[in-house]
Amino acid sequence: MGSQGGFGQSKEFLDLIKSIGESRSKAEEDRIVLREVETLKVRLNDPNTPKYKLKEYIIRLLYVEMLGHDASFGYIHAVKMTHDENLLLKRTGYLAVTLFLNEDHDLIILIVNTIQKDLKSDNFLVVCAALNAVCRLINEETIPAVLPQVVDLLGHQKEAVRKKAVMALHRFSQKAPGSVSHLVSNFRKKLCDNDPGVMGAALCPLFDLINADVDKYKDLAVSFVNILKQVAERRLPKSYDYHQMPAPFIQIKLLKILSLLGTGDKKASEQMYTIVGDIMRKCDSTSNIGNAILYESICCVSSLHPNPKLLEAAADAIAKFLKSDSHNLKYLGIDALTRLIKINPEIAEQHQLAVIDCLEDPDDTLKRKTFDLLYKMTSSSNVEVIVDRMIEYMISINDSHYKTEIASRCVELAEQFAPNNQWFIQTMNKVFEHAADLVNAKVAHNLMKLIAEGFGEDDDTADSQLRSSAGFVAIRVESYLRIMGEPKLPSAFLQVICWVLGEYGIADGKYSASYIIGKLCDVAEAHPDDDTVKVVTGIMKIYSFEIASGNPVDLLPECQSLIEEMLASHSTDLQQRAYELQSIFTLDARAVKKIMPMDSTCDDIEIDKNLSFLDGYVQQAIENGAQPYIPESERLGISSISDFRSHDVHEPSTHALRFEAYELPKPSLPHNIPPVLASSTELVPVEPSYVIDIPHPTSAPSASDTGSSELKLRLDGVQKKWGRPTYSSPAPSSSSTDLVKVQNEAPRPDSASSSKPKTRDSSYDSRKQQTEIPPEKQRLAASLFGGSSKSEGRQPPSQKNSKTQNHTSDKSRSSKASAPDTAVKPSQPPPDLLDLGEPSIASSVPSVDPFKQFEGLFDFTQETTPASTGGVDGASKDSDFTSLFADMSLSAQSNIDPNPESNGLGGSKVEPTSPQLNKGPNLKEALEKDALVRQVGVTPSGQNPNLFKDLLG
Amino acid sequence: MIRGVIIMNDQGKPRLIKFYEFQPPEKQQELVRSIYRVLCSRAENVSNFVKVDSLFGPDVRLVYKTFATLYFVFIFDKSENELAMIDLMQVFVETLNKCFREVCELDIVFNFYKVHTILDEIILGGQVLETSSEEVASAVDAISRSLPLPLSLCAYVCALVSSCEWVLRCNRHILVQLSLRVGKEWQFHDSIYSWLAEMIATELW
Repeated sequence: MGSQGGFGQSKEFLDLIKSIGESRSKAEEDRIVLREVETLKVRLNDPNTPKYKLKEYIIRLLYVEMLGHDASFGYIHAVKMTHDENLLLKRTGYLAVTLFLNEDHDLIILIVNTIQKDLKSDNFLVVCAALNAVCRLINEETIPAVLPQVVDLLGHQKEAVRKKAVMALHRFSQKAPGSVSHLVSNFRKKLCDNDPGVMGAALCPLFDLINADVDKYKDLAVSFVNILKQVAERRLPKSYDYHQMPAPFIQIKLLKILSLLGTGDKKASEQMYTIVGDIMRKCDSTSNIGNAILYESICCVSSLHPNPKLLEAAADAIAKFLKSDSHNLKYLGIDALTRLIKINPEIAEQHQLAVIDCLEDPDDTLKRKTFDLLYKMTSSSNVEVIVDRMIEYMISINDSHYKTEIASRCVELAEQFAPNNQWFIQTMNKVFEHAADLVNAKVAHNLMKLIAEGFGEDDDTADSQLRSSAGFVAIRVESYLRIMGEPKLPSAFLQVICWVLGEYGIADGKYSASYIIGKLCDVAEAHPDDDTVKVVTGIMKIYSFEIASGNPVDLLPECQSLIEEMLASHSTDLQQRAYELQSIFTLDARAVKKIMPMDSTCDDIEIDKNLSFLDGYVQQAIENGAQPYIPESERLGISSISDFRSHDVHEPSTHALRFEAYELPKPSLPHNIPPVLASSTELVPVEPSYVIDIPHPTSAPSASDTGSSELKLRLDGVQKKWGRPTYSSPAPSSSSTDLVKVQNEAPRPDSASSSKPKTRDSSYDSRKQQTEIPPEKQRLAASLFGGSSKSEGRQPPSQKNSKTQNHTSDKSRSSKASAPDTAVKPSQPPPDLLDLGEPSIASSVPSVDPFKQFEGLFDFTQETTPASTGGVDGASKDSDFTSLFADMSLSAQSNIDPNPESNGLGGSKVEPTSPQLNKGPNLKEALEKDALVRQVGVTPSGQNPNLFKDLLG
Repeated sequence: MIRGVIIMNDQGKPRLIKFYEFQPPEKQQELVRSIYRVLCSRAENVSNFVKVDSLFGPDVRLVYKTFATLYFVFIFDKSENELAMIDLMQVFVETLNKCFREVCELDIVFNFYKVHTILDEIILGGQVLETSSEEVASAVDAISRSLPLPLSLCAYVCALVSSCEWVLRCNRHILVQLSLRVGKEWQFHDSIYSWLAEMIATELW
């Protein structure tokens, strides 16, 4: 045990592990662990436990949970430990909470504060620990609390911290893309960080962002190509070499990004051909990592705009993969082939044998991958072989998930490419026979629909079509009658069979109705209740067709007994159907024809949703004194329902934790809002017809009783679960519309009957007029909920501002949790909020524009390369790279620029691809800096000019 | 994105479980069990990849490799390269080797806390953070160096500090640093601070 250094643990822990290791059964292990849990419970709760001991207990707790036992009693101790001063304890605490808690756990709120504090720590290790926790524990609601600190850390002097800060930001953008969308430029900036590790980390978020929206990042293609070139030329520090390959992981990430950027973009692709070709040539195909890069290059080639040379190289590489003995490489070869056949279908033919070999391989993964390939290359010429192969495999495996997938693929291919009906039917039968329960219910429906459509088309298509289609169904009927002999059929398959027999069993006159019904009755006996339903429907159809066509119908004795059995069934569904079947016999042919039309599965049934045919009846009833019908939505919970819905739609952020106390309704509030706006006159005409005579058990809420209603159980606005829906009136809640409504009514607390219509009015109005909330309401909502998305949309010019304001108001909420009425303040947001907002704007907008940096970066390189062809740089490449990075940022920051026209050149090169480039202040800033630089008299001289010599050469 | 990292032994005992999207403990156990079942059923000399979309959803794959008695398992989606994942695993194991000198199962069991630390330096939030095992090892080293020194070492430093002869021979800067740390961690104020005061008082600075 010489390996405990630095992380020393006690003998007790060792003993625990030993005894668990030696335990012979699961039960024995459980006993040991449970005993350990008891010990830990006692010791953790003992206030006298020394801290370093506590740390060990937490680690043991982690171990216990890893073994699958409940450790939730100790979570709070882990949380407490994160507050500790000692780094070791703090780290342990953080590790424990990241493993124990999910991001929505209640205890997280106790950690956020600590994280905030730790992010500001002087000790970079503490900061790193906190960033680790941030990545795991911060959710959408708590992002604003740590965002400013994390952004600050992007400029930290330690590269380890910068790296983690980039990752944390990336995590935020995954969790809540909206929360950091204004910070995306930071990722671009970090691409030219001095440290290659940070650069590599920045590739991860950029990859995701580019994946989400390629067009925004097209301008970066050149820089990615350049970085890749430098990496491939071994300009990164030696420590990034892995098995003699220069920074392979970064290369792979870059290739992935390039393939995204080059997809369907000829111009961008052309920039990449050279470097991708180079990389493919240089790859060391004897090592694992070399092949990884090679494979990634093939993927890249397959998504770029096709280039014959590269495709050829890729095909060669694939051939090498497929011929290899390693299963891993074969697997990748097949995968790469799948990608490439999209571009060049012939390519697979060269490798037929290899593919067949893979199909026979004992390795399941490889086999499945090969089936993927086959699925992709299926055409009408090879569908029979492939589907047969798939079904064969499907029968042989037990994994239901994969079985389902294959079955649905078989169905899909068969539907798409079936050479003839005979084959199609056989295939479908096979699929249903072996995997009917796994196939999506939709497949059965599709199949039935397909048959119905094929049959229904007869009338208006050619004669041959008719014959084949009718034959198609006849074949089915026949084959199903045969299959029905089987003792046990999967439910979905049975459904198809019953349906087909019901619809078409007697259609071609080959079989008599009684024969088929007899068969169906047999099936009904052999299968449980649920399936009987399907059978009965089939029987019912056949009988009704017979009745409709005027043939004499005699109820078969077995059918009679079936019906009797069903009438006594416990299943109401079955009973219902039995009665239906019985009643069909009593109807005459005309009526039956109407309710059960022949072959009308594909007919659209028109539904009159307004029930207009009842209008006359309703009118009559109302005239006779009946009460008019009021839609449910208008009857009860009117405003609160509509409110919740509107909040759901417009501001998902309202799910956020509310840090302030629920405010008391303020009677004084209405003074701020002109009553004219609130009383919605435009909708009054709708009301009077039905409003007046509704009984109101509760009176309209007045300003005075709103206060008292806060204390009661709130039952209004909630639909009663039992009994008749009641018309309880909405009471004021904390939501914005209700507040407005209260304001609306407070000035005139008349009798209940007169104020009632108004209530409905305004709430109805609020529901209907969602699109047009009065500005007061918006502002109120904004101050209540931190601003709805609506208000942001309303004021595009100040969007950024309002966003930061949101953050700050959230922040202020968390900090001022005890001040309930900050949020209630109507209209103008208090000035201090805005003041708080200012610094965060300042911090989020980088002083040096990242695009400018890029501009500087690229015209610097482009400009110097041709000039510096002479000298050879003898300096070590490692330092070159870092100094190169340093130069880039340096040149960008101070904007040292030897000749202004090159600047213009670079600008014009980059500008068209990035629309955001010319942001107002930056140009001016750059010019100012330029002027300053000239004044100071800094000359570009030799900032390592020969460094760029071979960059583009 | 990497979904999770699992280390388990050839009997299916988990040695390290880390999921980058939260999974409740029961679910973790279930996943570990089903992964173990899958891995067991695989023959030797087959590929290291397994499709696990039945456990994790579409397009999620798993790479495993056996090192002595341990299975190392990485679970990831299609934004990662399978072969590169094998190499990342290699980086991870190489780093473990650096940190533990000839790593074995017992090291990982007993120091799984430290293994977590190492892994955190390689993968953060499901993204590959660092791929150079030297960088990782030095980062981990920095963390363990910041941890408190054993008591005996403190006493030793105190003895050194108070021995004047040694002080005169030694680089003073290092000595001050050392004593400050020892003093901070273990509150041996008396001897060390008096010594520092002495240093400041004399012309040694």
